[in-house]
Amino acid sequence: MEILVCVKQVPDDSVKVVLNGSGQPAIDKIAPVANAFDTYALEMAARFKEANGGTITAVSIGPDEFKTSLKNCLAVGADKAYVVTDASYDGSDSLATAYVLSKAVAKIEELEGVKFDIIFCGKETTDSTTALVGPELAEKLGVGVVTCVTELALNGDKIDAKQETEEGYNTIEVAMPAVLTINKPHYDPRYPTMKSKMAARRKQIPTLTSADLGTDASLVGAANSAVKTISLSEPTKKQAGIKINEKTFEETFAKAMAVMTEAKIF
Amino acid sequence: MAYIISDEAKDLLADVKKFCDKEVRQQCKEYDISGEFPKEIYDKALEIGLSAIEVPQQYGGLGLDHITCAALFEEMAKADAGFYTTMSASFLALTPVLLVGTEEQKKWACNKLVEGGYASFGLTEPMAGSDASNVKTTAVKDGDDYILNGRKCFITNAPVADFYVIIASTNKSKGVAGLSAFLVPKGTKGLSTGKHENKMGIRTSITSDVIMEDMRIPQSARLGREGTGFITAMKTLDMSRAYVGCGAVGIAQRALEEAVEYSKTRVTFGKPICQHEAIQFMIADMDIKTETARQMVAHALTLQQNGKPFSRESAIAKCYAGDIAVEVALDAIQILGGYGYSKEYPVEKLLRDAKIFQIYEGTNQIQRAVIAKAAMRMRK
Repeated sequence: MEILVCVKQVPDDSVKVVLNGSGQPAIDKIAPVANAFDTYALEMAARFKEANGGTITAVSIGPDEFKTSLKNCLAVGADKAYVVTDASYDGSDSLATAYVLSKAVAKIEELEGVKFDIIFCGKETTDSTTALVGPELAEKLGVGVVTCVTELALNGDKIDAKQETEEGYNTIEVAMPAVLTINKPHYDPRYPTMKSKMAARRKQIPTLTSADLGTDASLVGAANSAVKTISLSEPTKKQAGIKINEKTFEETFAKAMAVMTEAKIF
Repeated sequence: MAYIISDEAKDLLADVKKFCDKEVRQQCKEYDISGEFPKEIYDKALEIGLSAIEVPQQYGGLGLDHITCAALFEEMAKADAGFYTTMSASFLALTPVLLVGTEEQKKWACNKLVEGGYASFGLTEPMAGSDASNVKTTAVKDGDDYILNGRKCFITNAPVADFYVIIASTNKSKGVAGLSAFLVPKGTKGLSTGKHENKMGIRTSITSDVIMEDMRIPQSARLGREGTGFITAMKTLDMSRAYVGCGAVGIAQRALEEAVEYSKTRVTFGKPICQHEAIQFMIADMDIKTETARQMVAHALTLQQNGKPFSRESAIAKCYAGDIAVEVALDAIQILGGYGYSKEYPVEKLLRDAKIFQIYEGTNQIQRAVIAKAAMRMRK
């Protein structure tokens, strides 16, 4: 089983982001971390590998500093990692990013002499939260995709994926190769062990550039992206909610109804 | 970071901090009240390898230098000093094995910790604490075996240990020169542990008596030559002292951070109390003490790392850090006022945790005796 996990390094999402004077997110003092959904994807991939065998490769598009997150990936399940770095990719929207990723998939397959069976992505990143890259990557690769996966199992040459929806969940069978985008499962990603961390630090992470990938310069970067950011605004501040936690479910429900009736919601 | 460590070590430290913040810091509050051993926290800690940070590389460990270990231990102590005590006590027991053990004994004991085990160092007895030479436990030769009888007390990790290092008398008439050290695996017939001590602080660490009743062990379980047990134990304590200091520094650092945090939000006389000079000077003194203790720990460990004499410096580090941990915790309580005295806030626990650092692994009176002897020698 050949597995690829796409990882993006994002500003620590536990820190509140505000806009700076020029209307850009003030993120330079926020520690970079691997996108939380990508860490769930890697954990799910690692468990899948432990159950079914195989190799996990992690890939990231971004500056050389993204190797920090990739080293962490190498300590918690990834066997290899690549970073795709090119100034011309800066400001790419999700479609351009998916295009670059699709070229990276082809290049890594060529370099490693493998074909990826499953490509794991987080369902979205915690910085831009578009949730588009995974499905767009599947489109570019011409393979199936299941979004918001919380569980998966190998079923012959197919995958049974449990997809979380607003109402419940769907169980979807998908042929490999496929792209899966991962939602938060019921478990947490493992911690690196002291030993795996030290070993990971010594592993080499090759860098791929636009020359290696052979990307078309007219399809990447801010100027060639279909989505243009006109301006950013901070989320409106919500009023603090009230917590209703009575002794029994019935009492809690009655209290909630009373509160909402009083507020003339009904 | 106040310790000068490599980028790799900083990375490990960040991981340990993340682990402690998420899995230890808050969770230990509940166990501090119940006094229960938080097995599920320790299982996770052992899984990521925190019990083996000091195991040498040739025995499957990480081969970290002393200063890096100190930084990691301080972080553990900052989260919970009981947690730190459990983790470092295993290494206290490994130290005599590394000092005088055979290659086979070293491999065996290191492997136990690398695989995620615990260990206990058994020197203290009801009548042999500071007066460690007054050990009553006996080891009588019987053919190719020894038969041990006696009782050790206040033994950290005893109920969960995978192995014990026991100091026992092989020749009563020789006094301290008749003491020997033994490496005892758990489950040895005749070995049992007493009830868990209900302690004032470090309540997440597990402590009990170790009882030996006609416990038969082979001669191959002896560590070093017969009669070298006391020297081995003293060398072990010499080496571990600075590490005890870094646990105390962790408590002091936590107390300082809690006090600073509170002083920024608590308003009196129209401004946050951190803007009152009375509080600022207390905070400055807390920081001076904490950093001084940390640097003494680092100095003692640097001497040790470089093969230089370190007994005096280790004793100073342990003694000073233990004393200031209590003082700084007291000051943190004072800054938090009534809240500091309340169990709702974390600082009263820090004081209860800090007190043991003036007592265990050589009381601070014993440390002062060591320091005084060294000082008098220097003046000759």
